[in-house]
Amino acid sequence: MEPVPEDIRLLKGAYWLTRLRWIAIVCIPVGTYVCGNVLGIALREIPLYAVATLLFVYNVAILVMLDRAVKADQHVSPRTVKGIIHLQICADLILLTVLLHFSGGIENPLVFFFIFHMIIAGILLSPRESYLQATFAVLLFGLLVLLEHKQYISHYCLEGFVPHCLQEGMLYILGTFLVFATGLYVAVYMANYIAIRLKHTERAYRQANVMLQEKDRIKDEYVSRVTHDIKGHLATIQGCLAVVVDRMTGKLDAQEADLISRAHARSIKLTNFVRALLRLTQMRLSNKLEKADFSMGEALRSATGAVEAKAGDKSITLNCNIDSSADKVFGNQFSIEEMVTNLLLNAIKYTPANGTIDVSAGSDETSVLVKISDTGIGIPKEEQARVFDEFYRATNARKAERDGTGLGLSIVKYIVERHEGQIQVESEEGCGTTFKLTLPRTA
Amino acid sequence: MENAKILIVDDDPDFTVMLKTVLEGEGYVVDTAPGRAEGMEKIQADKPDLLLLDVMMVTWSDGFEMARDIRKNPEYKDMPIIMLTGVEQRTGIGFKSSAGDPEWLPVDGFLDKPVEPHVLIAEVKKVMSDKP
Repeated sequence: MEPVPEDIRLLKGAYWLTRLRWIAIVCIPVGTYVCGNVLGIALREIPLYAVATLLFVYNVAILVMLDRAVKADQHVSPRTVKGIIHLQICADLILLTVLLHFSGGIENPLVFFFIFHMIIAGILLSPRESYLQATFAVLLFGLLVLLEHKQYISHYCLEGFVPHCLQEGMLYILGTFLVFATGLYVAVYMANYIAIRLKHTERAYRQANVMLQEKDRIKDEYVSRVTHDIKGHLATIQGCLAVVVDRMTGKLDAQEADLISRAHARSIKLTNFVRALLRLTQMRLSNKLEKADFSMGEALRSATGAVEAKAGDKSITLNCNIDSSADKVFGNQFSIEEMVTNLLLNAIKYTPANGTIDVSAGSDETSVLVKISDTGIGIPKEEQARVFDEFYRATNARKAERDGTGLGLSIVKYIVERHEGQIQVESEEGCGTTFKLTLPRTA
Repeated sequence: MENAKILIVDDDPDFTVMLKTVLEGEGYVVDTAPGRAEGMEKIQADKPDLLLLDVMMVTWSDGFEMARDIRKNPEYKDMPIIMLTGVEQRTGIGFKSSAGDPEWLPVDGFLDKPVEPHVLIAEVKKVMSDKP
């Protein structure tokens, strides 16, 4: 999992705030109407509707600002986004204070809504910044309560909701204010604490992931080195045995000749395995693959040509239907041919004599599509998902063919992935298998 | 071309003996060299008709560099070269995928190690007939 960059995280937070605000913009007029007209609570309805309208206008303005910031620069600076978030929280706190003023001040339980902004600030902003926002909120609320208590501004009593105006009682004001201030700071502290813990956990996971990838790379290097050494010795053994097998007729007795032939055959199998393993690890270790434009049709014809004789040995019909649109793929032609050859050799291996293999290719707007179908033994449904796993061989494949590396399809999948393509398998046991390959087309 | 001279440059003595046995069985005159420097000496002294070159000797690209040196020299630039290599060495990682690109891999043929005798003989004959 890639870490979310700070600018993206903040940008998402800024948009999140605007979405939450739409809820407030709807709830304020509805609440005002219900409280004033249904519940019969004395409310200054006009200023409250005005606050909702103001909130609407300012939310649109914020959205325009955010969109501009995103369009102006592909990499939005975290400072700009943070500035917009600060602006949003401050404006919200001011508007909430104004709303409270026109709806009973300290008597209105809406004072709890200050907490929401503290949690948002605690998540999105640094601890210092969120404590500053909490202080701003405490000052705003304190000022409102003080001014209303001292009657410097008028207090609009929530008649119908409270029995008498509460802003007059000094003890009530002080108590509520203290609880309010403490609540705000505690909310900021908790939100900060959780956000920081989450960030730490995320970092730890990321580090663990990087370490695992590094370990995997070391393992690949180790396997690559070991197999390479083995392959060198094996090449010599196989080569020497091949010479003996070629010339032994008449010189060795039947038993000796049989043993040498067996040793030669096994050395070939071992070489194939080591070669596949080496190919896979080397592909995993190399970061780049030399790519160029090439004709997919040509690659397919070349791969089919390479396996024609093998198909002929088993009297398998090899049909090729390559549309001229299956052209122009950007990639490594050698790897693609190797991959198609692997699929074809598999098809030949697991298709009984006199079977058919169809290779077809076409394209759509963005991709070149290749289909390789056979009339072979198929893959059991429950095993289809695993056939691309390293060293995995389907149970019926193991029964049909004792020898096989279990690496062929892993190499296929790896090559497809390195070309940003996709491969799918469709198969029915006893009927046949179809591999569907999609590779991005060059424009 | 019977009795043509073939030089094998490979640091694996056992593999060299195997190649030598097969090629001598076909009537070729075979000489061997265990490394790049000895190989160049023998090329200058004997002017072989064909070079069988292992790609990985001391370094992973020794043979590759030797082939380029030979092509730079006007005297030997037309000498047929068959390179002995592993498939994984020419799959786009540092190597071009096909033989005969004079800029990249200035050789006339490839043989994958391990090599079966009939494949070796066929390739040698093919390259020899392509470049008389």
